[in-house]
Amino acid sequence: MTDLVIEARNVYKTYRTKKPKNEEACVEAKHLVEAVKNVSLQIRKGDIKLIFGPSGSGKSTFLRCMAMLDRPDKGDIYLGDECLTKPGVDLNKARARIGFVFQHIYLFRHLTALGNVELALRQVLKLPKEEARKRALDALTEVKVTDCINKYPSQMSGGQAQRVGIARAIARNPDIILLDEPTSALDPELTGEVIDTLRDLAKEGTTMLIVSHEMPFAREVAEEMIFYDEGTIVETGPPSLFFNAPNTDRAKKFMTRIINRTTREEMNV
Amino acid sequence: MFEFLLDPTFQTWIAQGLLLTIEITLFGVTLGLGLGTLLAIGDIYGKKTVKAAIAVYVEFFRGSPLFVQLFIAVYTVPAILNLQIDHYLLAFLVFGLNSAGYQKGYIKGAMQTVFSDQMDAGLSTGMSKIQTLRHVILPQAYRIVIPSWTNEFCSLTKSTATLSFVGLFDLVSAGKSIRSLTFQILPVWLVIAAIYFVWITGFSKIMDVIYEKKRIPGVEFLMQ
Repeated sequence: MTDLVIEARNVYKTYRTKKPKNEEACVEAKHLVEAVKNVSLQIRKGDIKLIFGPSGSGKSTFLRCMAMLDRPDKGDIYLGDECLTKPGVDLNKARARIGFVFQHIYLFRHLTALGNVELALRQVLKLPKEEARKRALDALTEVKVTDCINKYPSQMSGGQAQRVGIARAIARNPDIILLDEPTSALDPELTGEVIDTLRDLAKEGTTMLIVSHEMPFAREVAEEMIFYDEGTIVETGPPSLFFNAPNTDRAKKFMTRIINRTTREEMNV
Repeated sequence: MFEFLLDPTFQTWIAQGLLLTIEITLFGVTLGLGLGTLLAIGDIYGKKTVKAAIAVYVEFFRGSPLFVQLFIAVYTVPAILNLQIDHYLLAFLVFGLNSAGYQKGYIKGAMQTVFSDQMDAGLSTGMSKIQTLRHVILPQAYRIVIPSWTNEFCSLTKSTATLSFVGLFDLVSAGKSIRSLTFQILPVWLVIAAIYFVWITGFSKIMDVIYEKKRIPGVEFLMQ
């Protein structure tokens, strides 16, 4: 299986919402959140998969585990054939091959759009100045934010900032891009421009794992949709399955709610 | 009344005193910045023992008068080590170490306001923790901390008055010498006070300009 890009094998992750006094007290008071319970997932080159599910179900934690921004408690993450959960692995090198886009954008606040994209090219890929600049400009052109390359994050709109965030993630030519609800922190009218950018990436065959509830977009680009609830993958299948008749009740209920919401929004516009 | 100002000898003394005051302050703030940064990082990332050691260090330098620290450094440290150490050097070090105790707090506070999301962002691009600290966290923290530095600078400048008690020739020493030769008590101290005032106010204004110049929209203490 040479085309396997990233794989999660039986991953578990529990986190505490409060500092632990003792374990039982935490479980008792529900300060222990089992965000990821025995989740396995394979992404191959060119795949576009979409994770969706209720908020607080652990989707973000799972995505952060895939990028090793959080270390899984149990289970393994493979990037290609390298196991990232073994001790002694150079995680920085691994993360350099994974693009990550955050829900709340997280641009470097003291750098311009150009600086944001350039930084890792200079520091991680060690590119010379001119080449880093050229690649950064290419990435910013690709996401169509050339008009704000010299602006600071606080001077951009949410949609521009998130597209810069995407440029920062793609500029290194990573093996895969993980996107954690890239549009959910944006106003509805700004969502569209970010979705357009993602659509372009999809057309180019970028390998992506996206957490999102943008259903029309999902139907259009996702090869596989993954319904995630209470820390596990409940159901997996092509968009057609979910839009017609999901097998599980939980997925059915969730789809009904979300489609109603989407339709309402479309009628309002 | 102020004729002593025209005397070239007195002028030289005042200039010499002011120079030492400025030197020790600037050096102290600079050493304090470097060491304060290391202490802040140690306090955030260090093991329990490291944190405890840093806490002891900070409480020692914040919890006792600078004057006492200076006395210990000048009169007991060389004796214990059985070494001749230049008093200037010891004073430089005491001011730096003392300032680090305060600056650790400022810098740690500033780092923590930028830490939560910016460290994740840095790591996600493949940078190491150290690279992220250097290129993302500290450039923001230092900008935020500039106004606190201005305060630190003012208080350290005035603390140099203690140098005259360990035989170093600072601005206050110059004042004492001139006073004992001219007996113009009030005029001499008025002049010395005015020099402190002009230097501190002028430098604070420069720091304000630097703060404005270096300020990046979105990187500042959020006014709640």
